[in-house]
Parts: sequence; C-alpha cells; structure tokens
Amino acid sequence: MSTDVDKRREESAGLMEYSAENLVPFGPIHPSLKEPEYFKIILEGERIVDVIPRIGYVHRGLEKAAEMRPWVQNMYMFERTCGICSFVHSLCYGQAVEGLTIFQVPKRAEYIRLIICEMERIHSHLLWVGLMGHWAGFDTLFMWVWQDREVVLDLVEAISGNRVHKSMNAFCGVRRDMPEGMEKHIVERMKFMTDRARYYREIIDTEETMLERTQKVGAHVTQDTVEKLCAVGPMARYVGLRQDVRLNNPYAAYGEVPFEIVTRNEGDVQALLRLRLDEIIASANMISYAVENLPDGPIKVKIPPVIPAGEHSSRCEAPRGEIFYYVKSTGGRTPDRVKSRQPTLANLPLALEILKGQTLADVPVVLTAIDPCFGCMDRMSFLDTEKNKQWTWSGEQLRQYGINYYFPDRKDKA
Amino acid sequence: MILEILEAIIFPGALYTIGMGFLFDWLDRKTSARMQGRIGPMIAGPYGTLQPLADFLKLLFKEEIIPSHADKLVFLFAPALFFMAPILSMLFIPIIGPTSIAGFQFDILAILFLLGFSAFVVSILSFSSASSFTTVATGRLVLQYVSYEIPLVLSIIAAALCSRSLSVEGVVGAQTRIWNVFFAPIAFCVFIVAMMAELEKAPFDIPSAKTEIVGGWLTEFSGRALAFLKLTKEVSYVFGCALAVSLFLGGPLGPILNFGVPVSILYFIYFTVKILGVGFVIFVLKTSLTRIKIGQATQLFWKILTPLSLCQILLILILIQGGLIVAT
Repeated sequence: MSTDVDKRREESAGLMEYSAENLVPFGPIHPSLKEPEYFKIILEGERIVDVIPRIGYVHRGLEKAAEMRPWVQNMYMFERTCGICSFVHSLCYGQAVEGLTIFQVPKRAEYIRLIICEMERIHSHLLWVGLMGHWAGFDTLFMWVWQDREVVLDLVEAISGNRVHKSMNAFCGVRRDMPEGMEKHIVERMKFMTDRARYYREIIDTEETMLERTQKVGAHVTQDTVEKLCAVGPMARYVGLRQDVRLNNPYAAYGEVPFEIVTRNEGDVQALLRLRLDEIIASANMISYAVENLPDGPIKVKIPPVIPAGEHSSRCEAPRGEIFYYVKSTGGRTPDRVKSRQPTLANLPLALEILKGQTLADVPVVLTAIDPCFGCMDRMSFLDTEKNKQWTWSGEQLRQYGINYYFPDRKDKA
Repeated sequence: MILEILEAIIFPGALYTIGMGFLFDWLDRKTSARMQGRIGPMIAGPYGTLQPLADFLKLLFKEEIIPSHADKLVFLFAPALFFMAPILSMLFIPIIGPTSIAGFQFDILAILFLLGFSAFVVSILSFSSASSFTTVATGRLVLQYVSYEIPLVLSIIAAALCSRSLSVEGVVGAQTRIWNVFFAPIAFCVFIVAMMAELEKAPFDIPSAKTEIVGGWLTEFSGRALAFLKLTKEVSYVFGCALAVSLFLGGPLGPILNFGVPVSILYFIYFTVKILGVGFVIFVLKTSLTRIKIGQATQLFWKILTPLSLCQILLILILIQGGLIVAT
C-alpha cells in the first residue's frame, strides 16, 4: 500500500525517470541546513539535473494564531517569525495596522525605527557572509565575521535592551528612546564597521580559492529569469534590477535619509557577496546620518486597543528582500485576517533555477546565497496522493477549515 | 631481534607515531583556533593537550552501528587495514639515526605502494557503507587520488634523482652536506600540495566536505571504527610530514653538537622539530584557504603541478649532467 502511494508521489513529482542511485537527499536534517527543509537532488555524476524542494517542515500557523490574539500581542508574535530580521516583521505588521488608524507616527520614532532596521541589516548581512564562508569551506572567514557581528549586536542591545528579538516597536512609535550620549559611540562603531566591510571586500576580491568557488556560479541566470521568477531584495539587485522598497516606496524615515541603492551586474554568487558587503557600508552611512540628525520630540502616540474596520497592507525591505503584510480588521480586538509573505519563499524558485547544471559542491553555496530562512517561509499545499489530485483553497475555505479544526463545535460561525 | 621488535612497536615505531598523531591533532586545532580568534581546546590536560586522546578514548566506548545495507566484512575490516598503512610506512623513515627500522634498497617503491593502498582501502570502505553520501564521496576520492598521485610520484622521483637512490635511507644519507630542497624547491612545493590532497586538508577536503556530503566517506562509521579512522588520518599526517622531511629536508640529520648528549637524541629532536615545522605550514595553509571543487582540483594537479614537476626533473637532470649535483 505504502509503496503504491510512494510511487504515485514520485510520479507526480516527475521523479520516475531517475533511478534511486542518482538521487542525493539534501535535508531535512543536513549539516549545511540550519533549519529543516528537504531538497531532492537528481545527479548525473557530480552535475545536477534537477532539484525538487519539499517545504513545510517548520510550519507554525502564525497567521491563524494571529486571529486569536489582541492586536498588540500580534506585533511581538510576528517579531518571532524570524530570529535574524525580527524587527522588520513587527515594523511591517505595525505599519499595516497604523494604516487603519488616524494616528501619525512621531518623527523621532521613525528615525529610531530606521536605525534599528539598518543595524539589523548589517548584522544579518554579516551573518550571511560568515555562513557563506563556512558553507564554501572557509571557516576562518566565518569566525572573523561573526566576531565583528558582535559589535552591531552590542549596539542593538544598548539601544533596545535585547540582542535578537528587540521588542522595540509599538503602534505609532517605539517603546524605548535612544540612550543619552550614544551618538558619538554609534558613529565611531559604524566607522569601524565600514572599515571591516571594506577589508572583507578585499579578501573576497583577492582570495583565489574563494573566487574559484563563487565566481561564475549561477552566471547563466539572466535579468529576465529573475524578473519572471519574482525574486526580491539582493537576489533581484545582483543582476542589476533597481528593486528596493526603501527606494521605490519609502517607509519610516527612509524618505529623508540619503540612501544609495547598491546594484551589481555580474549575476553570480560573487556579485552577491560584494553587493551585501557594499550594503553594509551603505547602511552604516545611513545610521551615522540618522543618529546625527535625530529629531527631538515624543517617541510614541497612545492608541486605543480597538482598531477601526478596514484592510491595509504594508511593504518593507527586510535584509533578505521585500516582506509584505496584509491586515484586515472588522473593528474588533483581534485581527480578522493577517497575511504575511517572506522573501525566502519568493527567492527559492530562483535558487532552484540557479542550481540546475551546477555541481553538487555548489548546492550549499547557492542555497546559502539566497540567505534562506525556512522557518519564515513555510506554507501548506494540498496534495491527495490517494486520489492523485491537487487543489487550492480560497481564503474563505481555509478560514473555515481553521475554525473547524480549532473549534469543532462552532460550525455555525463561518 | 627483541630489540628490533621493541623499536618497531614502541620507539621510534608505532607508539611514537601514534603519540605524534595526537600531538599533531592538538596543534592543528590550536593553530586554526588561534588564527580564527578562538582559544581552542583548554580542558583536558595542560592547554588541552590531552583533548585528542580524550576524544579517541570517548569514541572507543561509543556504540558501533553497522548500516543494514553495508558489506559487513569490508565495513569491519577495512578500518584496520587503513590504520596499518601509515604505521607500516613510518618504519621506513629514519628517525633516531641515519638508518630506519625496516628500510631496504627500494623502500620508496614500497611507500608509494602503501600510499596507493591506503587510497584503495578508503575507497572500498567508503563504498561498502552503501549510502548516497559515501557513494558520492567515493567518486570524489578516486578522482582526487588519480589527480594528486602523478605530481606526488613525480616530486618523489625528483628527490630520488637528486640523491641517486631509491631508498629513504639513501636519500637521507645523500643530504649530509646540502638538503634536497635547495636543488628541488619546486618539487618540494608540489609535494606539500599533493600531500595536502592526500591528507584531505583544505582546500582539498573535497571527499569529506561536511557541508556538502555530511561526513564524506566517514558518514556511516561510528564508535571504535570512527575512532581508529580519525586516528589514522592524524597518523597519515605525521607520516606525510615525515616523508617530506626525509626526502627534502635532510631527515634527522643536522649539526652534531658536543654536549655529551647522545647523537640519537639530537637526531630525534631535529627530526621532530622538522616534522612539526612542515606540519605547521600545512596547518596555516589549511586554515587560510577555501575548499575548491573536485574539477578545479583535478585541473590544478594535471594542468599546473604535473608540468611543473616534470620541469623540475628536467632541471635536476641538467644539473646532474653539469656536475653540480654529485652523488655521495
């Protein structure tokens, strides 16, 4: 029975033409994946013919959970979407909710939001550069970069009191003011960060073995492919697309702080390394400017716990790319529906496209290149292997399913 | 007879080699830790010197799991064969004097055989565990062996040509006045690079790339077998450095000082310092390089190192014709 199901499952995935010897399982538990995700890699010798992903190992049901919690609690729950770019999630959700109210965010709060966002970007990019070194087999880079990352984490701790989940954001403001007399220190540290980023740029540009691993990897991907597969963030900018929410649709204080978009044209993994290191320098400059030109005033406006009915959406540029939150309110104490989309889901098709034709040795490098965060992106799909049929549900059906699942005796309230 | 057996087993034979293996492991970990801004092992023994031994002993007491698809005979016996190869090869290296324990007239050929033998044993033991990771690792292993073997043998030939001898004792004996490395610097570099590939050190840790194929050919091993396989890797490290020292750096030879210290102890100290020096060079290289792909490794060995070592041999032949190298 089970073999029959397996066979059909493989047929539906187009796997039947390959023998088992050609199939290297990559995950769900694999040393180069820090989160569980499964990739079936079909090989011919060392060359990759196809990669079939199977996502959903860390599906946590955040969107459904949001419908059962008050508006404010949700902000700190969505912050837990990701352990690296945590603040930007609460910011994006917060902006979507703020859009439903009549209150204005104070200027000072917007600047503080920008500072935290950019520090998060620096720390996320540094983390990525280190992991890139680790996965390419260059542990020394990993150790060095992660040591420098501590500098930013310490700053974040000094400002927000936390290192990872900052819990800084609030509706129409931020929860804590900048500490007194930090400006000089932050500017100094940002100068240090810029120096280190330049130094790592130099290493990446000159280290022969590193160049051999990253140059020309995935160079067959064109701008059209990237556009067609809807890649976001650095994965769009590395082929020369000027796509950045901070530029196209400024939020927080991004409209007022001078911002230079970083793009590259090579379209290989090497370009991604350079791009992210350049973005660190750009972010450091923005932080220095924002700290020096921090406006005075209140940091928060108090808003009532009930949000007026309506729907609103918000976009933000997370370190990995664009994130999107949609919020619908019926005027109650909890949201009616929250939808979020994370950049990893958008970038995964592109990563699989890059992998085709590369060798097995490139798998960790390419999968890392998109800066994957599988915990953020996991979704559900419906596939009935018994009847061999696939379908999708509308939002209403999905909601009904959720209600039936959690409250089986409440069927009347559809 | 009994003295020779004791020499082979305890000093300077197997026990010395294994002890140096543990020391090399510790130095390796400590060097890369210091280069990466960490402190490395600190708990077991002074400055963590006993950490490799502690790891080895711990693994000995762990449960051993044999995969159900594995070829059990090969899976159980190949680690022992693999362990034997570098221990046996070390008997041909002179350590406490100009003569080795088991040396004979053509023992360089025996060493070459044992090098090939250990690569063969690794590939069959990797293949016997029958998992997809080890299968890929076997492919990489064999390809890497075919790549580094040619430059390795050519550089050994260059050293043998300099000394006009096919035994390690002869090569060492011919270096009393001037080391081979001054006649054959290119061959020495090629030898070190090929040796790094043989020892699977970065940038040639391709068959055991942990981020790509989990543990490479070690993936399915556990317990005792894993302990001995890891130890064998370290012992091969010692042997690789010892061979480099014997062929190019004069082996245990050095200035004889009149302290009243026995000459054999001086020789032993010279030898140990030299292999630690060569080992240190490999630690530093290993820490500062990125793993390359198997195709790039093959290209490096066949397109660059093989012609280079051929040029070196030609150069040596010219020097011999010109009478600049005189066999002693």
